[in-house]
Amino acid sequence: MEGLTERFKGSIIRPWRLIFQILGVAFLFGQGFGIPPFGTSPLLRKLFLPNASCRYVDTVPTSCFYYQFQDGMTTGASTYYIDVIVILLIIVLMVLLLGRIWCSWLCPFGLVQEGLAYLREKMNIRPYRLKWAHRELLRPVKYVILFLTVLISLPIGLSGLGLLGCQSTLALPFCQVCPANGFFTISEQLLGLEPLGTALPILAIISLLLFLVSSFFVKMAFCRICPMGAFMAMFSRFSLMWLEKDVEKCTKCRICLRVCPVDHDRVFEDMESVDVSGSDCTLCGRCVEMCPEEGCLSLSFGPRRIVSSGKPGRLGFMGMFHGKEGK
Amino acid sequence: MSNGDTEGPPRYLKDREEYFSDEQRERTVSESRKMEKRVKDDLKAQKDRPAVMKYFDDIHTYGGIRVKELREFRSGGGKVVGTLCVMVPFELINAAGARGVGISSGYYEPVHPANELLGDAGLCPMVKATLGAKMVHSDPIAEELDLVVSPATCDGKLKLGEIYEDWAPVLMLNIPRVKTGDTTSKLWMGEITYLKRKLEELTGRRIKRKALLKEIGKWNEAQAAWGRLLEYRRRKTPPISGQDMLLIAQASQKDEITRWTKKAVELEKELEAMVRKGLHSGEVGAARIMLAGSPIIYPNFKIPSLVEESGGLIVSDELCSGHRIMSDPVMLDERSMSEMLMALAERYFFPCTCPCFSPNDDRIRRMKESIRIFGVEGVVYHTLRGCHLNNLEATKIEMKLREAEIPMIKLESEYDDGDVEQVRTRIEAFVEMIKTRRAFSGKKEGKRG
Repeated sequence: MEGLTERFKGSIIRPWRLIFQILGVAFLFGQGFGIPPFGTSPLLRKLFLPNASCRYVDTVPTSCFYYQFQDGMTTGASTYYIDVIVILLIIVLMVLLLGRIWCSWLCPFGLVQEGLAYLREKMNIRPYRLKWAHRELLRPVKYVILFLTVLISLPIGLSGLGLLGCQSTLALPFCQVCPANGFFTISEQLLGLEPLGTALPILAIISLLLFLVSSFFVKMAFCRICPMGAFMAMFSRFSLMWLEKDVEKCTKCRICLRVCPVDHDRVFEDMESVDVSGSDCTLCGRCVEMCPEEGCLSLSFGPRRIVSSGKPGRLGFMGMFHGKEGK
Repeated sequence: MSNGDTEGPPRYLKDREEYFSDEQRERTVSESRKMEKRVKDDLKAQKDRPAVMKYFDDIHTYGGIRVKELREFRSGGGKVVGTLCVMVPFELINAAGARGVGISSGYYEPVHPANELLGDAGLCPMVKATLGAKMVHSDPIAEELDLVVSPATCDGKLKLGEIYEDWAPVLMLNIPRVKTGDTTSKLWMGEITYLKRKLEELTGRRIKRKALLKEIGKWNEAQAAWGRLLEYRRRKTPPISGQDMLLIAQASQKDEITRWTKKAVELEKELEAMVRKGLHSGEVGAARIMLAGSPIIYPNFKIPSLVEESGGLIVSDELCSGHRIMSDPVMLDERSMSEMLMALAERYFFPCTCPCFSPNDDRIRRMKESIRIFGVEGVVYHTLRGCHLNNLEATKIEMKLREAEIPMIKLESEYDDGDVEQVRTRIEAFVEMIKTRRAFSGKKEGKRG
């Protein structure tokens, strides 16, 4: 039988990550699907996690910072953008503290994409691996999206430019094409939480379809163009949470490169640095749990190694055998 | 096999089947048998040898149980696949329902027929012995082959595969010898897919996803057992000799892997008991030696036995006939067929530090790491005559080791006993030097207690 236990064999990190992800989704979206509210405290509503929780679900406790970021840029001209600056500072601090761990351990987008990859694996379809050239082409795209968001959000809020009329169509530019918007608008209408036939965000629905198809075939397709990730990527290399590599122990076996969901080739290729996390690593720890060399790769917080790669054969999650396949 | 047939591709040695006299054949067989017995007797004479080692001895016995088992397996319609290199994935062979068996030869006598027929006296003796054994049919296991898989690593192996074709069907695998670059992984992956197809054709049976997964599991278990055995070599007084460890590693390529794992686990228990009783292999304060360089295949145990007779103990090796057989596991990310094949292909290729690759900095890095882990005090770098690749890397490795203050001795050897006394003198001097160094540097012998 190839059930969940089978999947977790060889995993010392992934099961914990899955628990965090599910808790994250339950917390961020539970209310949207009728799970009793955690509380309606305004404090909770002011909590901006650097991840996608969606404002288009009416009753969720919080929202992704990107919504507040866009909203603040359009409406904040009169308050000298204090709100936006505060939010961004909070996010920068969070990233400096934990790096892009928010992406892989909390973001619902990540969970959905991993679910799709799991489905693909069950259907015995191999993942489509992006070529180096394509990855290089994609890398700047997320920064471009981030830049475009600012470019559109900022001027339409400046009354002097006379663009106020565009607010209804252009405000929240990223939300209008965000797959989450498409998903929640449709599902809330289908679940009867909102009246059917309210205006459908066509662009968002198209991007939802693109999202589903692309991340079914390509591992973590959305993460590669995510503007929230782009913002975090600018600061993640300075974060306290990092991916450590003991170069002396590396056997160049290429496992880390093969298992990396975002094709972060630096872990494999860099034979000089100790810190191999760079800006694209989301600290999911897949390479750490799959690396067969004891102490070669570690997820570290400051100088402290939190979890290190170990020999296959040691006990993993809840006593399951690490690296023992197909029994 | 279709020896006498006129059908088939033109043969390199087509008319030479009758080239060798019956006496020569018989002599090769009897000399091989004698050599194997002599080497085994030496192994058995080691002090405080674990009892489980009998199994590993038996697997290697000339014309022993393994040959009988393979013969029976074949008479039942099973297919036996010989491998000429450690880069062939056994998991794939087993998943196809065939049996894999390593057939590189360590026997001295078959070198002579190969010398006569091939006309290249400077060729690597391992290649010559493997071919010679087939020429005069002196290796009983090599007589039970339905297919030989030969990755073309070095020049010797390239032509070995080609010439072997005269006696058994050979499947050559193209090894990308430059490890860097974008095409490497793709090319090797293509070769492994090709091997899978050919194995399916041979056995007439599709390699199923579940079967492959199961085989990978078996081999990973064996790898884990091997890893636990290595722990005993890290001790201050290891309970097992380096020769026995070579024998164990090579047995995994001869025997069913499940039986091998079972015995390895038994051995682990026995070693644990020995440690508790304070028994150990070799003398107290033996020089901790790492064996590196060209493959040392049973029964060509000349160098390791000389090292261990001269007051040294081999605590680590980086041979493709030793630790490298078992050093890496297959780590599966996803379990679709192509992903499993990719995991397999990469496991057998990328961590391999065969000198046929360039760049090969990984080798010196791995050696240094092993030196650290096993508390190695000196490296015996053995090259077979004609093994240019290992010869050429020796200098570089010696330089690097000098930086790390690890002495290295390079020994070039042939497949014969002529140089034993000369090599013994050099090894004894080397071991003495290590022990003297120890006294001067005040370094503690070994790293772990």
